[in-house]
Amino acid sequence: MEEQTLRYLRGRFGDHYRRSELTPPPFAHEREWGYVPWTEGPGETYVRHKSLLDLGELSDFLARERPRHVYFSAGRYENPSATTMGGKNWRRSDLIFDLDADHLPSAEPDDSYGEMLAKCKDALLRLLDFLETDFAFDDLTVVFSGGRGYHVHVRDEGIQHLQRDARREIVDYVRGIGLDPGSLIRTEMRGNVTARVLPTDGGWGRRVHQRLLAFVDELEALDEADALARLQELDGIGKGRAETVYGAIKRNRAAIEEGNMEAGGVGIRTLVDSLVTEVVEAQNAPIDEPVSTDTNRLIRLPGSIHGGSGLAVKRIDRDAIDEFDPLADAVPETFRKHDIAVEVTDCGRVELDGDSFTLQEGELSVPESLGVFLMCRGRAEKGQE
Amino acid sequence: MKPLHARYPFLAAAREAVETADVDLAGVVAREQPVVQRAMDRLEGALYDGTVGDVHRRPRVELLSYPVARVLVSLVDEHVLTRKYARAEAQTAYDRFTEELATDDPLQSTDTEHLTLDALLQEFDLARAARETPEGYRVAVGTYLEHAADQRDDEWRLVNRDLQDGEVPLSEEELLELLRQAVTHRIEDGLPFDVPEPIAVELSAEVESLREQLSDLDLTRDIDTVVPERFPPCMKYLLDQVQKGEHLEHHSRFAIAAFLTTIGMNTDEIVELFQVNPGFGEEATRYQVDHIRGATSPTEYSPPSCATMQSYGDCVNMDDICEDVIEESHPLNYYEHRLEQADDEELTDWRERQSESKS
Repeated sequence: MEEQTLRYLRGRFGDHYRRSELTPPPFAHEREWGYVPWTEGPGETYVRHKSLLDLGELSDFLARERPRHVYFSAGRYENPSATTMGGKNWRRSDLIFDLDADHLPSAEPDDSYGEMLAKCKDALLRLLDFLETDFAFDDLTVVFSGGRGYHVHVRDEGIQHLQRDARREIVDYVRGIGLDPGSLIRTEMRGNVTARVLPTDGGWGRRVHQRLLAFVDELEALDEADALARLQELDGIGKGRAETVYGAIKRNRAAIEEGNMEAGGVGIRTLVDSLVTEVVEAQNAPIDEPVSTDTNRLIRLPGSIHGGSGLAVKRIDRDAIDEFDPLADAVPETFRKHDIAVEVTDCGRVELDGDSFTLQEGELSVPESLGVFLMCRGRAEKGQE
Repeated sequence: MKPLHARYPFLAAAREAVETADVDLAGVVAREQPVVQRAMDRLEGALYDGTVGDVHRRPRVELLSYPVARVLVSLVDEHVLTRKYARAEAQTAYDRFTEELATDDPLQSTDTEHLTLDALLQEFDLARAARETPEGYRVAVGTYLEHAADQRDDEWRLVNRDLQDGEVPLSEEELLELLRQAVTHRIEDGLPFDVPEPIAVELSAEVESLREQLSDLDLTRDIDTVVPERFPPCMKYLLDQVQKGEHLEHHSRFAIAAFLTTIGMNTDEIVELFQVNPGFGEEATRYQVDHIRGATSPTEYSPPSCATMQSYGDCVNMDDICEDVIEESHPLNYYEHRLEQADDEELTDWRERQSESKS
């Protein structure tokens, strides 16, 4: 990045911070703060182990320093500015989830930025289903990261004191890691006999059971020969087992709806085994594990600007997630006022703020939001006005 | 001093009783040999039997032997003793309270003060987090994880539980098991601590005796031979992935690091064997290996069994030895078998090869 580009961006970030009201996270003074200043050259300087006492009032600090990136810690400490974790004396920590396009199995190399973010949002909604339905967390903050995905901050009291191993259990739960079909099916006493049962009202059991019922619906819509053939496509199910399963569905669908795994014999349990893998693949939330298990993690400040995109790190209301369009809704208002001159170094198509542009190399006049976006991403330098 | 406190010396009320009695621990260890002897019984019971033995007939001796046992654990300061001791105290407490709760004899309860399930739940802040349902209990997920996250069995893993509305359903037996974990954590909490010099001096003979007993007990699998060619296929594969710089899931990194630790490698050697590249993160590797070795955590981990490897999808390239010789039991059994089969001169320890190639 050329020096004049850097100076321009730093100045405009400052204008943004002077004009905008920023809500700091709760207990901001108990957290560690860090930032990356604008510096030339390939490496970035990471300033960390700061407390708000060191930085001063947050909005003053941002307007004065105009940093490229700003972070605060998920953890809360007795001495947030101590330079070692021991010296900080950890007290508690929010639980952070990071969904990043880089970690999405569904992302394709030639996805556009917009497509990537849309896939990330699907994963976000799956994650929220776990956090709201299964975990019933109620202090959730959903944030567009300004870059390649979304963050969720959980601040419920019940998770604040959990250590890494406990947080890893939560990660494994939403990712479906270690799910054991053998443990999912329980053995219960029913009168004098034991019966195998798939739980229907909680956990991954509920999700697998719902998928099982959908599969049963699918079979019932077929005629017998097709249904038997469909069953035999599954590993471990031959003609005999297929017939037992099909018979059980025809005779006693109600039992399957209750989660009874005796009707249908070995076949139905084999069927459940194969559905488990499918359900995990379709429904898990591919979050970035180290972010969630790290109780000292620094995370981007909502309300700041992401120095790698010029987009705002933006809190999103729960009921606004569906219509949230990061490439329009996260464009800072400050950059929407006029056009600027840039010199494009990396040409091609760009979508931003509801428009789509095909850029040629060389000097161009573009909306400032696009200019900032390109410069932050290293695709343009500041041109002469 | 109440018999209840003697039976459950980790209760906050028992601790208060000791504090109010204004006992001078230095004086106790100097003059009350039965207390020191009972404290030694607790620790030897923990080492050989997994419990802390029977209650001494004098409540004072029994109650005071608990803080003295904690002092001894702190003086010995061996991770394995701390862990075994905490588990043994918890096991004994568990045996006692499950028995007491099962005894529904109203005549007996007028006789001596009994511990109720409610009181026990209160003690560990579980009263608010657990509620009774027609099927058993439901425990708030945060509290569940606090006590269950270090359980090794798959059935305790959150992913296999029927989590619903922020609560984990548990049977009464499972709730008691959770309480046992809560006791373990309470015992471990704060161990080891600094012991004042006069007390340490009084107990030096006991500390010496405990150290000797620890070294006589072969508490670690003593393989201490590193021949990667003879690793089981799963570990070969994981090591290969690490050396290629592939990203490994946490459980996979854990498995290989715990395996290498158990066969006698130290942190530096593991980092070197991993041929850590900048992307892999030497610091993260060190942290994790230290954690597994118990240097930065209260628990020392052993490598996963074949069953666990299988459930994580880490069991690959299974061969005849896996299936027929060790019968899918444990990767360490595979490695031991392969080492036994070889002539000694065939085996060159990887660490020796390293020092040869360096010199």
